Amino acid sequence: MADGAAVQFDDVWKKFRQGERHDSLRDLGPALIARLTRRRDPQALRDQEFWALREVSFEVKAGEALGIIGPNGAGKSTTLKLLTKIIRPTRGRFAVHGRVGALIEIAAGFHPDLTGRENVFLQGAIMGMRRDEIPRKLDEIVEFAGVGAFLDTPVKRYSSGMNARLGFAVAAHLQPDVLIIDEVLSVGDMAFQQRCVERMQHFKRQGVAIVFVSHNLQAVESLCDNALFLHREPRAYGPTSEVLQTYLRASMEAGGSSANEEVQILGAQLLDAAGEPAKAAVPGDLLTLEVRVHVRKPLPDLYVGLMCLRSTDLLVVYDGHFHDPEIGLSRVSEGHVVKLSCTFRAHLTRGHYHLACQVIHGPTQRILSRLAPAAMLVVEETRTYAGVVDLDVTVDRKDEGPLAPTLVPADGQVVRG
Amino acid sequence: MELLKDVREMGQELIAYRGLLYEMTRRDLLLRYKQTAMGFAWAIFMPLINTAVFYVIFVRVAKIDVGVPYALFAFSGLTVWNFFASSLKFALPSLTSNLVLVTKVYFPREVFPFSTTLVCLVDFAVAAVALVVLMIYYRVGITPAILYLPIVLLVHVIFTLGVALLVAMANLFYRDVKYIFEILLTVWMFATSVLYPLNQLTGKLRLVTQLNPMTPIVEAYRDVLLFGRSPLTPIFLATAAVSVAVFFVSWLSFHRAEYEFAESV
Repeated sequence: MADGAAVQFDDVWKKFRQGERHDSLRDLGPALIARLTRRRDPQALRDQEFWALREVSFEVKAGEALGIIGPNGAGKSTTLKLLTKIIRPTRGRFAVHGRVGALIEIAAGFHPDLTGRENVFLQGAIMGMRRDEIPRKLDEIVEFAGVGAFLDTPVKRYSSGMNARLGFAVAAHLQPDVLIIDEVLSVGDMAFQQRCVERMQHFKRQGVAIVFVSHNLQAVESLCDNALFLHREPRAYGPTSEVLQTYLRASMEAGGSSANEEVQILGAQLLDAAGEPAKAAVPGDLLTLEVRVHVRKPLPDLYVGLMCLRSTDLLVVYDGHFHDPEIGLSRVSEGHVVKLSCTFRAHLTRGHYHLACQVIHGPTQRILSRLAPAAMLVVEETRTYAGVVDLDVTVDRKDEGPLAPTLVPADGQVVRG
Repeated sequence: MELLKDVREMGQELIAYRGLLYEMTRRDLLLRYKQTAMGFAWAIFMPLINTAVFYVIFVRVAKIDVGVPYALFAFSGLTVWNFFASSLKFALPSLTSNLVLVTKVYFPREVFPFSTTLVCLVDFAVAAVALVVLMIYYRVGITPAILYLPIVLLVHVIFTLGVALLVAMANLFYRDVKYIFEILLTVWMFATSVLYPLNQLTGKLRLVTQLNPMTPIVEAYRDVLLFGRSPLTPIFLATAAVSVAVFFVSWLSFHRAEYEFAESV
């Protein structure tokens, strides 16, 4: 065990069975016979079995957060179930130190006929709070969830948002050493989501080790130090930014366009000011996207669209269209390939972005050809933490001398002498 | 020592989650109070109705002599049986009806059958009040033998918990257990001396009835409450040993199978 690791997975494998499970007594006989006669290695795969997880290793230290990302069915939730001891690994070892709090299904223990107060006690106990801990924290929990007036109402009369908020509030007041979070940021309104994120950051500062599973890459990027890209087996593991990049590349396969349209985008390349291929940039860099277009048959009224999206949440940062008279695609000879150079300044903040381009026939609004992503771009710098646009802020300093003593007259106005 | 490790783990987990056991039990009691008009009156009402029915059959139709007023004899037997039977009835679906919790949150799963059994124990206590009223009515006084009651109760609860763990687990793995269980429970009741005195049986039938641990338990309650004699007969002591063994083995197998629950639903 490495020093200070609160969670450690060491080459963990887990197999599951595919297809229907037989659970009537009729199947007991055959199952027993099979168990007695077949002396096979329990770690080997039998019929219909598959590895849901393979060779998973990671560690999380106190005060660190690990984000687990990957497509649906990649084994993310399985990993969390292993962590919370709901299931056991088929192979490999793992260790979790201290009290584990899980925000997995946050209102799982709620009973609709019980009141909010009764459910808080029940849910607290389910999550492993001590008996004396719950009454002490009740006020805080209710305040956090914002359900004060409804505390003695059965939760079946709650809105689904209130339900989820109360569930999260109970979990948020555990004092865990290890916190496991499975996609809970999708509940509640924006103000509540903001409170959740703050709470997690608070946990982190308190030295809680966090394992966070989410499809909200923006949240993963802002909360997690390290990330694990999982697809049945680890695809990438390391600092969040690098892993995100690998994941984004893998999940955005270039969308090819049909080859029988009149115009086809053949490919694109992102270049920096020196004309070299650009992968990373700093805010304000001058970049050029070179798009090669094959004009099979010149058409009038074409538009070329250029988009820039933030990859982690698909926020459209820029979407501009250039009409044919500006670029003159209709004047290109039949069968020629043209290169369009789109030059722009990357007034972007730190993050992962990608570019897309398309050619549209104006009168019919038909997309003739589309390339997404045309290029990917990582903006790296240390000044901005979040945001979309680099406002190119400059800070000036002027020394005005020492602060003069102030007089506070009877009418309350501050007068500087 | 795998066994020692498991036993220690079982004990530690139960202590760590005793608050949950309390909350689960409280939840079920609260729910019953909220959802049914009669609440805990059901605990008295059911054995009382049964007693009335069997009173008519065994006193008016087929006259049998049981040594004490038959109503008292039948009600005590039915109350004792009722705790056992209803504990199992509630324990049986306790895992399958809490699937969300079983698949999402970790805590010792024993909490489910244990808490349903505790709820039935509360009912049992309520029904015992009615038994006291009946005893006063028939002027059956208590004797020093009442001091054995805690031992009898302990054996009764331990045996019930052992079987409760087994049926809850069996129903999770094989869903048709609940149908077989209904029939089995009816047969089991008539194989227990709930309604008739043991001395009415002879030969193999008597042997079968006595091998059933519930018979010595029911008899022990009657010894203590109605006949004022010590319940510690060899057959009761053997039953106590069997109960402890059943409880231990089912809890251990329950604990070892726990990790498969979430995958087997």
